[in-house]
Amino acid sequence: MRYALLLTILLLPCVASAGTSPDGHRPAVAAQAAALHAVPTTTASLQKLSAQDIPALVKAPAHGARLIALWSLDCTYCEPNLKALAALQRAHPQEFALVTVATDSIEQRAAIATRLRQVGVATYPARAYAEATPDRLNFLLDPKWGGETPRVLLIRADGTRVGVSGELTPAQLKKLR
Amino acid sequence: MRQLLTICLCLFATALLAHDGMSMHTGKAPALGASAAFDSHGTLWVVDALDGHIRVRRSADDGATLGAPVIVNPQAEPIYNSGENRPKIAFGPHDEIYVSWSQRRPKPWTGFVRFARSLDHGAHFSPPLTVQHDRAEITHSFDALAVDGSGRIVTAWIDKRDEAAAVTQGKPYLGAAVYYSWSTDGGATFVPEHKLVDQSCECCRLVLTHTADGDIAAFFREIYGDNFRDHAYAVLRTDGQASKVERATFNQWQIAACPRHGPGLAIGNDGTRHAVWFAATDGPTIWYGQLAPGHPPRHQLAIAAAGASHADVAVRAHTVWVVWNQVSAAGYALMLRRSSDDGRHFDAPTEIARSDQAAGSPQLLLKDGQAYVAWNTVGGFRLVHTARKS
Repeated sequence: MRYALLLTILLLPCVASAGTSPDGHRPAVAAQAAALHAVPTTTASLQKLSAQDIPALVKAPAHGARLIALWSLDCTYCEPNLKALAALQRAHPQEFALVTVATDSIEQRAAIATRLRQVGVATYPARAYAEATPDRLNFLLDPKWGGETPRVLLIRADGTRVGVSGELTPAQLKKLR
Repeated sequence: MRQLLTICLCLFATALLAHDGMSMHTGKAPALGASAAFDSHGTLWVVDALDGHIRVRRSADDGATLGAPVIVNPQAEPIYNSGENRPKIAFGPHDEIYVSWSQRRPKPWTGFVRFARSLDHGAHFSPPLTVQHDRAEITHSFDALAVDGSGRIVTAWIDKRDEAAAVTQGKPYLGAAVYYSWSTDGGATFVPEHKLVDQSCECCRLVLTHTADGDIAAFFREIYGDNFRDHAYAVLRTDGQASKVERATFNQWQIAACPRHGPGLAIGNDGTRHAVWFAATDGPTIWYGQLAPGHPPRHQLAIAAAGASHADVAVRAHTVWVVWNQVSAAGYALMLRRSSDDGRHFDAPTEIARSDQAAGSPQLLLKDGQAYVAWNTVGGFRLVHTARKS
């Protein structure tokens, strides 16, 4: 299954090529999006996520789609998801922006930052909850979510959303496209 | 493929164990993971953790004021103190005070179960001891604590020794296991732990409560089949016999994730097992039901839906109370539903308290036939009367 997941990620560029013009050149909008969603190369700082920050985080992006990877320190299923979503973003930088959001309190900043580095996703914008318990921010991010981690929230430019809880299967990962 | 995936995950996790700098909670304010209980004289006791110290406070006026904290562990140690993994307090037959907690160890997901007691009504506490005899640097965490009708102190926890052994042998292992131990000498020592069951969920609180016979029953999230995360029920045997563990909920919530929503259980004098639990099979839902281990619960009812979390339940005579946190953009509401006919029907939800800021998991407490809710918020600890006589 792990191999199938990696295979899916590797094959996704082939699927993505269907969206390019017949002569193989990337459409101008996609090129702009590529610039917007380029893979960051430096370590991003961990920022707190408060209730008032959530409208901007879940606002539909101008281009492509935003992947919000929700995870927590106590969750053993979260790290494979973070890796898979980072791989997806790297394979399609013109389509996806990735933000990691730890549902743990920002007071655990050091542990969160350490884990993000260990998983290899510290270069992406990272947030952690500014409240002592996660339930309200969970609800504001996604009312259909009960707080189980991992969860990925995909927000497309057209305003549509997809939320998937649990470790992503290849089929679920493909559905995010 | 499932097995291969599990092996990959386990190897990945094991590799991470080699280097991690998990730090303890070092904020200025205590985290909201707290527990409370009334002693036999009606004094309220609250236990929580602050900067590595377990602290106990008492209230003689039903929570209106809390006394100065008594530090349980003079030497600070990293402590888990979230809503699902919070310090616990229980009383012996002569109001001995027993406190347990999960000590955070340096590697991710690791912990030790810790215990201390006071035999002088909270003036002093014994040096903490580590309950589990296994000292491997793995998960021994999410402890639960109860005292049975004979005065035995029973504790159960989530334990990953079997998962670790499976990884070593290259075998798949879903989830963790539940282990338990007990003390027959008032908490001076604990017997070597017994395994209750394999394949428990990894990060949901366990609940221990009294049966009508004075034994201790456990109710917890278990993994069935290919990641169906329902719940199991067992009476914890302390006579050397194996405990019988049976599936008790059948919501079929299939998910490879950490729900972080443990259940609640209260058993009436008639033996009825009133339970609340969370599942998101068709959207987040808090369920009530009367457990019939081996079969689906009776009188199952969806108590609350989106935005509802962390329910608790209590019973006295024919009255059943269910409370939970209901969140909205405005903050946290503490909600109540009450039944006066043994849980067959429940009143409409009623808001009994509100907090603009974060709130911990509510905990129902009974005193003199009245139901109270211990509710720890950023604004302070509250004891909320349900305002209805049973």
